[in-house]
Amino acid sequence: MATPTLTKTASSRSWKVGVGEFFGNCRGVTSCPTLSSLVQYPARKGRARRLGLGSNHPVPAPVGVRTRVPGTGGHQGILPPLHEVLNALGSLISKGQLQTHLAASLTRSASGFEIAVVTAVVLGLLVAWYRSLDRFLNPLLEVFRNTAALALLPVFTLLLGIGEISKISIVAYAAFFPVLLNTIAGVRTMDPLLIRAARSLGLSNFRLFQKVILPSAVPTIFTGIRMAGTSSILVLIAAEMVGAKAGLGYLIVNSQMSFLIPDMYAGILTVSLLGLLVNYLLVAVERHFSRWRTAVGSQSL
Amino acid sequence: MTAPGYPAPKISLRHIGKEFTVRPTKENPQGSRLTALQDISLEVAAGEFLTLVGPSGSGKTTLLDILAGLTKPDNGQVLVDGKEVTGPGRDRAVVFQQYALFPWRTAAANVSFGLEGATGLDGRKLSRSQRAEKAREYLQLVGLAGFEERFPHELSGGMKQRVAIARSLAYEPDILLMDEPFAALDAQTREQLQDELLRIWRSTGKTIIFITHGIDEAVYLGQRVAVLSSRPGRLKQLVDIDLGDRDGDVDLRSGAAFVEHRHRVWSLLHEEVLRAQEAGHAKIQPDGSAPDETWDATPQTTHGKAA
Repeated sequence: MATPTLTKTASSRSWKVGVGEFFGNCRGVTSCPTLSSLVQYPARKGRARRLGLGSNHPVPAPVGVRTRVPGTGGHQGILPPLHEVLNALGSLISKGQLQTHLAASLTRSASGFEIAVVTAVVLGLLVAWYRSLDRFLNPLLEVFRNTAALALLPVFTLLLGIGEISKISIVAYAAFFPVLLNTIAGVRTMDPLLIRAARSLGLSNFRLFQKVILPSAVPTIFTGIRMAGTSSILVLIAAEMVGAKAGLGYLIVNSQMSFLIPDMYAGILTVSLLGLLVNYLLVAVERHFSRWRTAVGSQSL
Repeated sequence: MTAPGYPAPKISLRHIGKEFTVRPTKENPQGSRLTALQDISLEVAAGEFLTLVGPSGSGKTTLLDILAGLTKPDNGQVLVDGKEVTGPGRDRAVVFQQYALFPWRTAAANVSFGLEGATGLDGRKLSRSQRAEKAREYLQLVGLAGFEERFPHELSGGMKQRVAIARSLAYEPDILLMDEPFAALDAQTREQLQDELLRIWRSTGKTIIFITHGIDEAVYLGQRVAVLSSRPGRLKQLVDIDLGDRDGDVDLRSGAAFVEHRHRVWSLLHEEVLRAQEAGHAKIQPDGSAPDETWDATPQTTHGKAA
């Protein structure tokens, strides 16, 4: 399957170097997957399909890369055909390993995500409403917002250890800012007339938040929540790659280090599917809460 | 029907004054104070329909905000049933020009908005079904039976304003404050809604203060028309309107009485409109800016003389 040099590389060095070696090795080789070949241009489709048919792997676009290296055999281990990946996925599921890793990742990202959404929405409403709080917190928030979450991973690990708490915290941190900023924007752009109308009905501040400001900001807040959903998974996977004993990030990096390349791709595939699923669910929830919005191009006034 | 000398007026305004700080701009770095309302005293009887006209920038909306309790006057006080107004209250409802419906709520949910947390006759909170029942009842009153589940964006302008009126009536305030409610509607819809408003007023006996910039509308609807002067807004004159018997299909607007009253209000207003135009008055925005203002260094004295 794999060439000895690559095995050595993968087992003796970090995974990043391994990937670098891989791309380095195939420099100058015409059949090597280059960045441009990862994108299937329409004009190339025909050729790719022909090659795909010829190489006995009728596979869709992402693994279409494989069709660019038919017959060479040298990279078989690094770019396994889809059926091998699916086989690996199947065996991971049947052994219950995938479920364990998925459960670990989901628990972490869901906890972090929930903490982030609740705190960011509350803080966002307060910051948008109380100008003095905004002036006080804004510089601080800007500094933190512009600090990449992963750059703080070592700090979180130092402060909170390598256990669950540090991972949940970094997910919460990464998911916090998109929700916060969109909540603030949602409140700031609301129609002041609606606040006057609600005030004229004698609503207290709390009721005003609950019944007018929050519902009117919901569509904007959801934009932030969707962004947060994506980044919470992204950051978690990266965090799990660095220091964890379970989780999809761990599965991916551990498979790579053990040179179980199909398992690695099975992990990556699961991450993609998880991302898509999360986004789909959030869009569905968003649609439910934003039914009242006039759709663009709708017939009504 | 007129208020003066009435033993207990529903609403009484006593020497109301309100000033605004104009936000500093490039041309006017210090900003300035301008008087929106000056010494307005007025009494409105229970069940009266009073219309309020004035040139643009005469502080009509400010006066309505003060009545609603959304703004505090700098001078004077507002009494409702002899008690001073200190904030918004359920005895007064406001209908805005731009409807101000909550777009995420259906027509019925908009109408029942003011009922949430309200108590019924037995002192208990209204249940969901009781609120829905009331919403249906009031939507029917404004002629929108069957539109309960529509969202505001599915309704026409006239229908939206009907929902807004139903929302204001639903929690049964004594007083209805209306800020140019029909200004954004087309002429036909406006006339239709004017007649419906009169019908509702007669059947419910509410006290209504109705702001408008339309002289016809003011004369047609009001038992009295209060004419405000140009800035600083003061009560220029109160005109009693008597159009005789309103019942029947007579075209009141072509009648001699209507034309005569209309002309009186028009002459009063016309002087003020001209004065306002000369002074370049414009609306003061809620944030305190007055976009068209061209102030010299001593705005107050200039306008004091003008008025």
